Amino acid sequence: MSKLLLTNVTKNFSNSSGEVTCVLKGIDLEISDGAFFTLLGASGCGKSTLLNIVAGFEDVSGGEILIDSHAIEGPGTDRTVIFQDVSNALFPYMTVFENVEFGPKMSGQRKSDRKIAVEKYLKLVSLENDADKFPFELSGGMKQRVQIARSLANEPDILLMDEPFGALDAITKKHLQMELRKIWQETGITIFYITHDIIEALILSTRLAVMTAGPETVLREIFDIDLAEPRSPANPEFAAMYQKIEDLIDEEIKKRKLDE
Amino acid sequence: MNRNHLISSFSIFVFLVIWHLMSVNYFNPILIPPPIKVAAKIFEMSEDGELFFHVWASLYRVIVGYFWGCVMGVAIGVAIGLSSLLNDYLDPPMQFVRNITPVAIVPLAIHAFGLDEASKYVVIIYGTIIPVILNTATGIISVPKIRIQAAQCLGASRFEIIKKVVLPSSWPFVLTGLRLALGFAFMGVVAAEMIAADTGVGFLIMQSRNMLLPEQMFTGLFMLGLIGMATDRTFQFIINKVMRRYMILIMAESGFKKT
Amino acid sequence: MTMTKSSKHRFILSFLIILVLWWLSSGTIFVEGIVPKPNDVAVLFADLVASGKLFSHIFVSFKRIFLGFLIGVLCGTSIGLLVGAYGVARTIFTPIFEFFRNIPPVALIPLVVSIFGIGETGKYFIIAYAATFVMIINTAAGVTSTPAIRVRAAQCLGANSLQIVRWVVIPSAWPYILTGLRLALSFSFMGVVAAEMLAADEGIGFLIMQSTNILRPEDMFVGFVLLGTFGFLTDQLFKLAVGKMLRRYMLGVENI
Repeated sequence: MSKLLLTNVTKNFSNSSGEVTCVLKGIDLEISDGAFFTLLGASGCGKSTLLNIVAGFEDVSGGEILIDSHAIEGPGTDRTVIFQDVSNALFPYMTVFENVEFGPKMSGQRKSDRKIAVEKYLKLVSLENDADKFPFELSGGMKQRVQIARSLANEPDILLMDEPFGALDAITKKHLQMELRKIWQETGITIFYITHDIIEALILSTRLAVMTAGPETVLREIFDIDLAEPRSPANPEFAAMYQKIEDLIDEEIKKRKLDE
Repeated sequence: MNRNHLISSFSIFVFLVIWHLMSVNYFNPILIPPPIKVAAKIFEMSEDGELFFHVWASLYRVIVGYFWGCVMGVAIGVAIGLSSLLNDYLDPPMQFVRNITPVAIVPLAIHAFGLDEASKYVVIIYGTIIPVILNTATGIISVPKIRIQAAQCLGASRFEIIKKVVLPSSWPFVLTGLRLALGFAFMGVVAAEMIAADTGVGFLIMQSRNMLLPEQMFTGLFMLGLIGMATDRTFQFIINKVMRRYMILIMAESGFKKT
Repeated sequence: MTMTKSSKHRFILSFLIILVLWWLSSGTIFVEGIVPKPNDVAVLFADLVASGKLFSHIFVSFKRIFLGFLIGVLCGTSIGLLVGAYGVARTIFTPIFEFFRNIPPVALIPLVVSIFGIGETGKYFIIAYAATFVMIINTAAGVTSTPAIRVRAAQCLGANSLQIVRWVVIPSAWPYILTGLRLALSFSFMGVVAAEMLAADEGIGFLIMQSTNILRPEDMFVGFVLLGTFGFLTDQLFKLAVGKMLRRYMLGVENI
């Protein structure tokens, strides 16, 4: 049974003058429980739109989305989003501890239970000593880890990640990718990940879809990623896969340029 | 855009209707006349030129006083901003005086200058000059150090830096100060005219009370609101135009802050 | 406010210099009947303190400021929250607000006095009027400044609308609300002075106005000193209170 099932999902936007643009056209997708699924595509192809729809921030114009066979009705605690703009997503007026305990607090958990949960997840992201700091005291990488801990503390079924490491420097990004993989392996959570970075996608995912360039985006091709561990760009299979995907994306970009 | 205009117009209309109903059924008409009567009065006073006479009297005072207040204010503000010595000596008294509203100065001005125009100018200049000085000085001081350092690296002289980096960078602050100052200028002129004048909108309002002419008072209040709104909107427009240039800079800067 | 040693010296020196300039200008540039000598003002000040009159003037003014400020802030903040949260509310109320906030409270005093008489109610109204508009504008700005993704993050974490308002919107709006409060306090001072000058028999504003009536210029200057001092003190107190209690909401924000 799939965790997340998208059937013929379509999304249209109309601007103020009434013109309708079809951003997503007939997306079919099946993601199993515990998968690390990545959506790859050039900028502007509609990746974030799809994520917003799965998150429940936007409605579909057509088609259906099921999570564990239930339909989606707006945002929910079973799917938590990790945003790229972590400075605005975190609550700057709350300490790390208070940020992470937010989900459990809203659902009415007792203080003592919350404390246990927060400490567990802070340990998972290696921030157990920074619980009393405020976000402005943290680096970008640390803030992102707080966001991850905060989302996990609410024990969602799916983690939706919108290019979370895009704003970080290369070294931090690498470390966080490793950490994320480790967390994923330890918790067994299902991850729906968006990026334009092919290497990142190949390092992290078990399954990957390349989107066509917009508008009227569909999924061009879906790959099951079964590369040898530990994942490394130096590995020849990895490199071959990389080339294949890069060619696909380049093709899509060229197509769009021709249409314009 | 259009839909918003419609809603706004409708809400003004609803407001007028409610005012009319309250005035006719609930309020004492000597105190709060219905909008129709006020409109008629406005029309009447416009026709015989009386409205223009008083409005212009007030406007003229504001224009002159405001102009001089701004010129002096910017000059002093720039001086304070550039010189830490001047800043140390002048800022404390300024922080003290800024709490003394222009209205409080009116009796002093009248005492010194009687019912002359000078007394009104003093009040207006006082009300104008303080926010302008404070905001200008803040603007000069707030120039990001890194920008000055960049200019120094590029070989600019101290004078060039002031002219081409510091002054332009402080424009948004100066404009904010000018906008605030206009509000204070109007407040000052109205207060001065209410206490000791025989022309102007403030006088008109005071006279209306003394002679029990509620429609006239509302006419005066209406003109104040109108002029205030018009001038403030103009300022907002100018600031937005100027700020657009600087907004790009401000946004870029916040991107460079510690992430 | 950290000052260098020379700054501290200059701070004290600046007031001394002003005092000296004041003393010198009285009787020379300015007629003593208009600008009295500082020592005469000090004498009157001491007299008023001794007779208890100073205290009653200050007390009365502050009582008015406090109540008017409170009413104005409560009204203004609640309306501001609504206007900020609902774009429709903003479109409906903005034209009316924009018009009325441009009418200086001074101008309304004759009307207010006609309606409410010279009792305390009228004064509260004027002060509240001045404070309300500032709070509406600033609160609305604060609400709209709440980053959309912060609200979305809270939704994902299971917060309902009320919880979002309490834990996301209002805290995010605090810097703006605090700026508004500070401005509203300053406007309340202005309002009370205007109201007392035109329609009262007690208070700092009255003291200033009375000076022309009884031809005793020292009263006016006592009034100025009081206004300057208390205005400055309340502002500093406000900054201190914010610094102590509400620091966490101002983190990373350029100071109000």
